[in-house]
Amino acid sequence: MISHASVARPPRVAAWLVDLFVSDGQVESIPGDLLKEFSGLLSKSGVASARRWYWRQSVKTIAYLFATGFRAAPWSIVGAVIVGYLLLGFGLWIPEHGIVAVLHFSRHGVVPYYTWPQMQAHLLWLNSAIMIGQFIEALLVGCIVAMATRSRELVSTLALVLFRGSLGVVGCLMSLVRHWPE
Amino acid sequence: MSGRDYLGEFEHIVMLALLRPGDRAYGVTVRQEIEARTGREASIGAVYATLDRLENKGYVKSQLGEPTPERGGRSKRFFRITAKGTSAVNCTHRALRSLIQGLGLAGSRV
Repeated sequence: MISHASVARPPRVAAWLVDLFVSDGQVESIPGDLLKEFSGLLSKSGVASARRWYWRQSVKTIAYLFATGFRAAPWSIVGAVIVGYLLLGFGLWIPEHGIVAVLHFSRHGVVPYYTWPQMQAHLLWLNSAIMIGQFIEALLVGCIVAMATRSRELVSTLALVLFRGSLGVVGCLMSLVRHWPE
Repeated sequence: MSGRDYLGEFEHIVMLALLRPGDRAYGVTVRQEIEARTGREASIGAVYATLDRLENKGYVKSQLGEPTPERGGRSKRFFRITAKGTSAVNCTHRALRSLIQGLGLAGSRV
């Protein structure tokens, strides 16, 4: 049987996201107010409606907290995003070139000839290693951006993700338009 | 009076919603008051962003209450309007009244 306490809880992911974005001064007020209203709605409108309301409020609240955090220190966040973007752009080739160089060296030193299955395995490991290297590099850049904008880490890293993501979408659209069949 | 004493639209709404419950006003009462009187679903984030801005301008003051179990052990943050805030509300009303006067709009009393 599901206990009343477990039913009465607001959506965990939404609550966690709000907790991530609230500043030290709002850590009592915003999550507390959301929980208070959620409990009121739960008895009035039921679990589904209360949960929908909580999600809606959480998304809007996070958008406001993001905008407020950005407006509080716009230049430092813009600067950190540009530096992060350049680091990601310049640094992306490092894992690829590094791993290719190591494999090239080992090929000459240890494996003089590849059979077809060996080549397939080589390519698989090469791709995986490059992806892992790029992931680690993205984490490092994220850490640098977060440290550069102390106390607004989430706003700056999210701004970098949005900036890079939107450039990626624009690039995809432009490529689609260019290669669209006549 | 300087131009800075005027309130923005949402600031004005939040200040009026703060006036009703008196000293016991906090985020939930302000949000519910706005929703009940204007039919507009304000987010708690928007209400607090505005309240923080108003506090920075010296129009409201806040203080933390006691933690309560229905809030998951968190405290309420109570707000009250300062004399400077009351003066800003009055200035905004005077400006609106003077703008509306003579326009012949139905129900235009502010």
